[in-house]
Amino acid sequence: MLLPLIAAAFLLAGSGSAVFTDEAWNVDYHYALLGQPKQSTSFFHQPNPSSRASLVYTLSERGVLGAVNPRDGAVVWRQVLLAGASAHNASFLRAGEGQDVVISGIGSQVAAWSAADGRQAWSVDFPGPLEDVEILELVDGKDTSGAKDAVALSGGDQPVVQRLDGATGSVKWQYQLSGTDVPYQVSASTTEVFVISLHKTILGYLKLKVTSLDPVSGHKMDEHMLSSENELATADTIVTVGANSASPINAWTDSTHSVLKVNIMGTKGISSFDIEKHGGEAVERVKLHAPYHINSLSHFLVHYETATSHWAEVFHVDLKRGQVEKAYSLPKLAGRGAFSTSTSDANVYFTRVTSDQVMTVSSASHGVLGKWSVGGFNVAAANDETAEPIHAVSEVSIRGDTVSAVRSAVLLSTGDWVLLRDGSPVWSRPEMLASTVSAAFATPAEVEALVQQLEAEAHSNPIEAYIHRLTRHVQDLQRLPAIIMSLPQKVVQGFLGTSVDGDITSDSFGFHQIIACATQDGRLIALDAGNPDKVLWNQQIADLQPGQTWQPSVSSPKGGVVEISSKASAGVQYNASSGEQLVSILPIDVTADQAAQEVKYAMHDGGLEATVDSSTTWHFMPTSGERIVSLVPRPLNDPVASIGKVLGDRRVLYKYLDPNLALLVTANDAATAATFYVLNTVSGAILYSNVHTGVDLSSPISSMLSENWFTYSFTAEASGDSPKGHQLVVGELFESLVANDRGPLSSTANYSSMQTGTEPFTLTKIYQIPEPISKMAVTRTRQGITSRQLLAVLADSSAIVGIPYGVVDPRRPIGRDPTKDEQAEGLVRYSPVIDFDPRWYLNHQREVVGVKDTITSPALLESTSLVFAYGLDIFGTRLSPSFSFDVLGKDFNKFQMLATVAALAVATCVVAPLVTRKQVNTRWQFM
Amino acid sequence: MAGQLPPPPPPQWVLDLTSTTTPSKPKSGSIPDPPGFTSTTALTTKQSKSSSKAITPRKQPSPDEMDTLKLKKAWELALAPAKQLPMNAIGMYMSGNSLQIFSIMMVFMLFKGPITAVLNIQSTFQRLETETNRTQMLGVKAAFVGCNLLALALGLWKVNGMGLLPTTRSDWLAWETAREPLERAYYVPS
Repeated sequence: MLLPLIAAAFLLAGSGSAVFTDEAWNVDYHYALLGQPKQSTSFFHQPNPSSRASLVYTLSERGVLGAVNPRDGAVVWRQVLLAGASAHNASFLRAGEGQDVVISGIGSQVAAWSAADGRQAWSVDFPGPLEDVEILELVDGKDTSGAKDAVALSGGDQPVVQRLDGATGSVKWQYQLSGTDVPYQVSASTTEVFVISLHKTILGYLKLKVTSLDPVSGHKMDEHMLSSENELATADTIVTVGANSASPINAWTDSTHSVLKVNIMGTKGISSFDIEKHGGEAVERVKLHAPYHINSLSHFLVHYETATSHWAEVFHVDLKRGQVEKAYSLPKLAGRGAFSTSTSDANVYFTRVTSDQVMTVSSASHGVLGKWSVGGFNVAAANDETAEPIHAVSEVSIRGDTVSAVRSAVLLSTGDWVLLRDGSPVWSRPEMLASTVSAAFATPAEVEALVQQLEAEAHSNPIEAYIHRLTRHVQDLQRLPAIIMSLPQKVVQGFLGTSVDGDITSDSFGFHQIIACATQDGRLIALDAGNPDKVLWNQQIADLQPGQTWQPSVSSPKGGVVEISSKASAGVQYNASSGEQLVSILPIDVTADQAAQEVKYAMHDGGLEATVDSSTTWHFMPTSGERIVSLVPRPLNDPVASIGKVLGDRRVLYKYLDPNLALLVTANDAATAATFYVLNTVSGAILYSNVHTGVDLSSPISSMLSENWFTYSFTAEASGDSPKGHQLVVGELFESLVANDRGPLSSTANYSSMQTGTEPFTLTKIYQIPEPISKMAVTRTRQGITSRQLLAVLADSSAIVGIPYGVVDPRRPIGRDPTKDEQAEGLVRYSPVIDFDPRWYLNHQREVVGVKDTITSPALLESTSLVFAYGLDIFGTRLSPSFSFDVLGKDFNKFQMLATVAALAVATCVVAPLVTRKQVNTRWQFM
Repeated sequence: MAGQLPPPPPPQWVLDLTSTTTPSKPKSGSIPDPPGFTSTTALTTKQSKSSSKAITPRKQPSPDEMDTLKLKKAWELALAPAKQLPMNAIGMYMSGNSLQIFSIMMVFMLFKGPITAVLNIQSTFQRLETETNRTQMLGVKAAFVGCNLLALALGLWKVNGMGLLPTTRSDWLAWETAREPLERAYYVPS
């Protein structure tokens, strides 16, 4: 008897934490991303000279500087240095040996950041774009104590070299580069600072000009030209101009990658090496890996890549004789590989990462010091694609003569950043998602398959349908053993409230929707909204050349299908669950209504133009000086449960519901005015317009239209009577402002906007908000019964807030308290300032950085809307604007309920004999 | 000496068993009373019967007087619901217009009472109805129905106050459909 009680008590204790925790960290997910790291700006570094543990630092392609803990892949800190950066932006990240700051350079700004917590120490702005940043490790052969100085080279009209004080960032000296040469790079040896610039010869070839400067005074010491003959046509074939190694080198190849030329900086001699042709394939890339430390051996590795294989050669620099010698070569392997350089004291180690092994060699000899096989990177990739390493940075730990462990942060061809510890993946970060440009929700294909089967049953004759159903159930029976096996676990999980909401196939709430994300570099990635911890599939769908961009737009025309369309190509469709490309392109069924006449409108010559069957119906041209900022049509799938608003006295205010509405924003730069129009997109009629003057057009203007209401926000400049502020305007369209009046069209079944133009009655309210909204979205539910929440992306505080519609309702009474009827509707007295309630923040305490857009999708539960935000970070959650009225929350105490039932049962059993006895006694007792 | 003793009187339980008093209806349930069980009610009626014998019987009223008495009683019955009305009204007013279990139960009782009363009108007045006062009883019954209708009206007033009667536009809003546009516009991103 006691045993079950004890067991129950333990169950209760166990469920205590699971049941009552806030849902905040359960239903939402957040990837704090950096963007794909670059080889040249990634390294392991100890945040403090005293600490032994190191962090991985990177300045990514997206212009984000961050430190990642190599233990678990969590971001320790990050700073967005250049919003909207791409892979083409030159960026630099350096850390001096034993320094507690890292120095970044991007755009025209050099900044120093505390390596431990990412606080800025100083920043310096340059007149032109930065070309290079280096750290002066030694000055006059002495190791300086304290912060090490930086040398930065900027280009532009007045190229200049500056030495910046490591502690304060103040300029110690500067050297103006003269002439027409293009500054290329800066490099430092123990005694000199070299500035390399590109000199264009008469024939159009490039020559390297090396100017050496005195590191203490900044005076020019020497200048010479390297005789690169006619080999350098563009700067692309310059392999490297080595930085702070003991002997900086210049290396370049000709355009066909047939010969490698190496020059030791400061000398004029050039060593020339023929590049071996392995198997007759053309060498596509030549990379050079050299140690960055001034004390380390002056050895370097040259990495050759062809389309299908790669190999490497190791060279030694003989400083005394000023010669470069080839030491040994690493064998050719198929596929791509990545090399990384690590140092330990003076020794230099090269780590080679390929898709099946990790290997470390010493720079001195070709003996393999450590070798680990890689089982797999544990990342999602397309079926025909294998994840291959693109580049890597490594940290080796040496014990005696062997390498005891090696950690490599590897960027894979899939875009994942993976840490391999001794060949096994420890964590992976889906950095490719940081460049998402478009995303859409799609129903899983499995769900859609069942829907189709049910439809087939509904549309065939009863006998066929019955047979179909029977066969389907027989097929389902095959899954029975698995279901029975998982049943006890499910019961326990359901009892404890720890159950994840099933998997995709048994998803009764519709939380498992597939989010397809198209990225800037041509990949399509699918996530499961109900299980966002891992990427479902990830494939390259566009082969983009370097420098090429595309503007894909992802949509889901029907369940189970993801469609990508871009400017260049018509829509290509993919299976949402597996990512397979669908061969037969299904015609997009516009489910809305086939009978309706189609009007198509598009941006045309700075205005809007609508056509019906290729004949123009209407034009919308903004007045002169105005440009279109944005156009937001009402969403195609925007269900509305009720066509009117019920007032407190149970009368009805009819909504102006027209699917053909769009909100157009135009801006007049000269007059600093923004105009907002609500258009009927069939007839082109302006239903509502408003001009706001004194608008700060440099800050974002966001707008949104849904159901019968629209909203927009902008930043108003300070004027004579009002200070600068951010405003949110909400307008609601009604058929009539008189209750119980359905307008002139009354209850006709259908109408044509071209023949009968009705105009809505619009109520608007302006609210002051504390910060600008960069993007707006609205929650969507299956039938539109649930009240709405306006989702606003706050770029300044890296947050997303969900503002309940009741707060911004334009029907809030002004200057008086609401009447009893209005109170019954939930209206409160209008107050012009809205403060964002901390409870509205969907991201809670996390920083969701760089969100570009937010998409929403209804779940199967009417109460719930799925939200997904992308940009730099990925953030998703489930929202219940009217609270979860159709599902039991986690705080529902199942144990208490079961205990009550059990207690009642026990009580009944105990009391029943007592009652019987009493009844019998009443019979046998007189009076 | 050895004369035969008279047979002892039979014990009480034999008397009880052989006594012809009809066993009273069992007090509860379908369980029959055990043999010999005399219910308390039977005992008391015996006693009251014996005591009433002492009182001289009252003179029976004449049929005319009986009719007047019955009519008077019938009027009393008919007007009883009307007497309850003020109390009901106060109760309804006090219970408020919100939909709560208490007020819902009160409203339910308010409806159930008059309706069952009207349905059982014949059995209510059967005892009081005679061949001679039948015509007068019609007026009485009409008054009874009228009073019950008043109570019903009170219930309706209450239900209306609670907003349960579909009398306003919003109650029929769900049956109104949105107008279908004959054209659909689609934005073609360029």
